[in-house]
Amino acid sequence: MSTLSATQRASLDAIADVLIPAALGMPCFTGAGDVAAMVDHVMALRPELTEGLKQALDRVGEGEDAAAAAERLNQEDPGGLATIGLVASSAYYMMPEVRRIMGYRGQEQRPATAEEENDWMRDDLLQPVIDRGPIYRDTDGV
Amino acid sequence: MGEIAEVLIIGAGASGAVAAKHLAEAGVKVVCLEQGRHVASTEFYGDKPEWELMSQRLWHPNPNVRGLATDYPIDTSESDVNPLMFAGVGGSTLIYAAHWQRFKPSDFRVKSLDGVADDWPFTYQDLEPFYDHMDVEMGVSGLAGDPAYPPMTPPPLPPLPIGKIGRLAAKGMNDLGWHWWPAPQAIPSRAYRGRSQCARRGTCMQGCPEQAKASTDLTHWPDAIANGAQLITGARVREITVNAQGLASGAIWIDRDGVEHHQQAEKVIVCANGVGTPRLLLLSGGDRFANGLGNSSGLVGRNLMMHPYAATVGYFDEPLDSWLGPAGQAIHSMQFYETDKSRGFVRGAKWNAMPTGGPLGMRSAYGGAPLEEAWGENLHRATQKRFGHSFEWGIIAEDLPDPENRVVLDDSLTDTDGIPGPKIIYRNSENTEKLIAFHLERQREAMEAAGAKSISTTTLMRDCGWHLMGTCRMGKDPETSVLDQWGTSHDVPNLHVLDGSTFVTSSGFNPTATICAIALRSVMHMLETRADQRVAS
Repeated sequence: MSTLSATQRASLDAIADVLIPAALGMPCFTGAGDVAAMVDHVMALRPELTEGLKQALDRVGEGEDAAAAAERLNQEDPGGLATIGLVASSAYYMMPEVRRIMGYRGQEQRPATAEEENDWMRDDLLQPVIDRGPIYRDTDGV
Repeated sequence: MGEIAEVLIIGAGASGAVAAKHLAEAGVKVVCLEQGRHVASTEFYGDKPEWELMSQRLWHPNPNVRGLATDYPIDTSESDVNPLMFAGVGGSTLIYAAHWQRFKPSDFRVKSLDGVADDWPFTYQDLEPFYDHMDVEMGVSGLAGDPAYPPMTPPPLPPLPIGKIGRLAAKGMNDLGWHWWPAPQAIPSRAYRGRSQCARRGTCMQGCPEQAKASTDLTHWPDAIANGAQLITGARVREITVNAQGLASGAIWIDRDGVEHHQQAEKVIVCANGVGTPRLLLLSGGDRFANGLGNSSGLVGRNLMMHPYAATVGYFDEPLDSWLGPAGQAIHSMQFYETDKSRGFVRGAKWNAMPTGGPLGMRSAYGGAPLEEAWGENLHRATQKRFGHSFEWGIIAEDLPDPENRVVLDDSLTDTDGIPGPKIIYRNSENTEKLIAFHLERQREAMEAAGAKSISTTTLMRDCGWHLMGTCRMGKDPETSVLDQWGTSHDVPNLHVLDGSTFVTSSGFNPTATICAIALRSVMHMLETRADQRVAS
């Protein structure tokens, strides 16, 4: 089984909201949209993360305070917390709403325009380097 | 048993592709065995939202992380640096950054100039026409007149824009009076020979989905195959065979169904990179060459050089679009490349100003650190500080050959075909550590001059062993080298090596331009002297 149980998913949401809270103009993890579907997508692409993620989430006690659980996991099972963080942040930064707020359209196709060509020449930027002359070591006769 | 190849090439990466193209075009019957497979550009994630997620596993440059059946595992428990590579048609050029850097004249005269390491058996001037030729074959974008080099033939394409990060870095260098130059790259600034203009996705190191970057699956293999070269993929070579005359007679390889084959050949060229090539030679030779094939010097596998990589990241208030490509380098600097012994070390490094990628970064690396450092509000703070507002000055640090840094066969590790894997034993030298410390201090000054609001440094990146060099070094003396200046074994006259294993010293440059130029020079010599060569019959 690659999908999370309802309990595991609730634990993931709670811990992930501690790791990725609403702050500095950014939404929290669960406030970013349909993160459950994106988490499933992450696990489908990276199935090797699933087992570690489930094991880490199963260590969260029923009714345990999420911040305390995250702190405890970080001490007792840092690898497990890192997996939760990796899955949560991977999903979060792929969410369209998060990317919209960040002004990030992904690794977009943006070929150079004619205006951008020769930008190294603008303002005579390169001229001082040319004016200083050669800096390579002469090996003639060596 | 199939036909006898005139030339058997092992490995379809940079040097194997150059050799196959030019031999096939000259009418030589070529067979190439490649353990990997063809990779289609549609398999790369650079044009998909999952790019960063997949770069941490499927497209990670460390074969131990990828763990694919086409990879072989490498024991790095005694190494400061992890070797990086990719097995497939095009080899590591599929995932290289395509910095297309020539070595400098002084790189070929290290012993004479600095009293360390060795001189190469040829000079920059000997190699220069082959650098020129490879610039055209790869479609290099760049600007002639760099004062860090002697005058040279201009590359076929103008440089890519240096962009916001390049201009910012350049202004800082100008304030300090330091060298910089628009970086040469094997990435087309305009459409070139069937390849697209660079779309600047910035995902070069996880494969170019645009079919723009010059990887040899695009630049060389189509011509090689059109001229009759036979490329067999999924073919893992277990051993180079030797006949009664002590000549290489072919190779035993295993297909993906586990069936063994023997490809006979008159001549064998090994192009399996600085780790794979010594591994294969150490696996070969049988009783006649009990120390490994071509290893009478005992130097096969020794003098491994991997270019320890350190970097400085500067963070700026202004938006820099610093996820925009190309990923490799906007500008480079050789201000501190040549030796100045007053610094307390010899040799130097090239710097490259690079973008810093997407928002995800390396979140998985934070486990165990205080929670509030990496997560919570600080996650957003750190992302907003770095993402789109930073660039990196990287250091390609020349490491000197040391016979104790080496590739050996591992006692227990095997690949999926049961063939012993390699073990890397590699430590940074005191010279390297001093070199990196000096360069990081200068980079901090460069970042401050560029106006960075804050700066962070990485003193040594463990996953940085892109450049695998020196493990079958060339030289004039068979007692102190494995190959002659043409890449021919001193011991076995029809056995050749054309990859980075051949390097005598590492320089402070990305090596692929030099690997390809050396391969081309050696192949041209092979063709010119074809009638005089000893071959297996």
